[in-house]
Amino acid sequence: MRVRDSSWTSPRGNVESVPRPLSSDQRFAAENAFSSVLVSTVREAVGDALGRNVLEILTSKGLLDASNDSKEFDSKLQSLFGNGAAVLERIVVKDLNRKLGIPYDSEASFDYEKSLETAKEVCFVESRLK
Amino acid sequence: MFRGEQAEMSGSEILSTLLGSEVRGDLLVLFHRNPGLIDTVDGVARRIGRTTVAVISEVRELLELGVLRQKRIGAFEVVSLDRAKDRELLESVANHLKTVRISGEK
Repeated sequence: MRVRDSSWTSPRGNVESVPRPLSSDQRFAAENAFSSVLVSTVREAVGDALGRNVLEILTSKGLLDASNDSKEFDSKLQSLFGNGAAVLERIVVKDLNRKLGIPYDSEASFDYEKSLETAKEVCFVESRLK
Repeated sequence: MFRGEQAEMSGSEILSTLLGSEVRGDLLVLFHRNPGLIDTVDGVARRIGRTTVAVISEVRELLELGVLRQKRIGAFEVVSLDRAKDRELLESVANHLKTVRISGEK
């Protein structure tokens, strides 16, 4: 029986062959693709939860500029929404995971930064497989 | 079962109520994405992938706030978005957020 040289378990739970490493151009493109998906997801999540007026105010306050920096985004959300920040972050991650085909478990403990890292990893892996 | 009553609340209090739990966040997104939705609490719970038990108290909070309203259709109690009240409440939230300084804001 032939055994694969190496394998990994994807965030979706599938065992797949190890993808090729990304070239710097591919990495740049994957970073941009992820950034674009994340910003549009944050816009949709905030807009759908709290409406367009609130979204516009948050945009004018620079909240969306921080979408790609999870720590800064979290800090800005906390300063605006207090405990509600976690609810908005969960909405963002739920939407992001749905777009990327990653399962979301609302019962599991939640870490915004880790969730974004997982989503980014999936985006990068998909870029490698293309 | 539910009553749509609401004392005068500040934008900050409205915001805290709207984002008071993950289920409430899911309900807001569901009704804002589907503003014409009319369904029973059971149906709403199914739509957001939750149990009725998990959703019932959260729906009640939104009914009390006035975002949702309830009426009887035949044998069923159904809930829907009160668009006018929702707009009014979100306007209060927007006015409140205008006054809040975001961390790092100049």
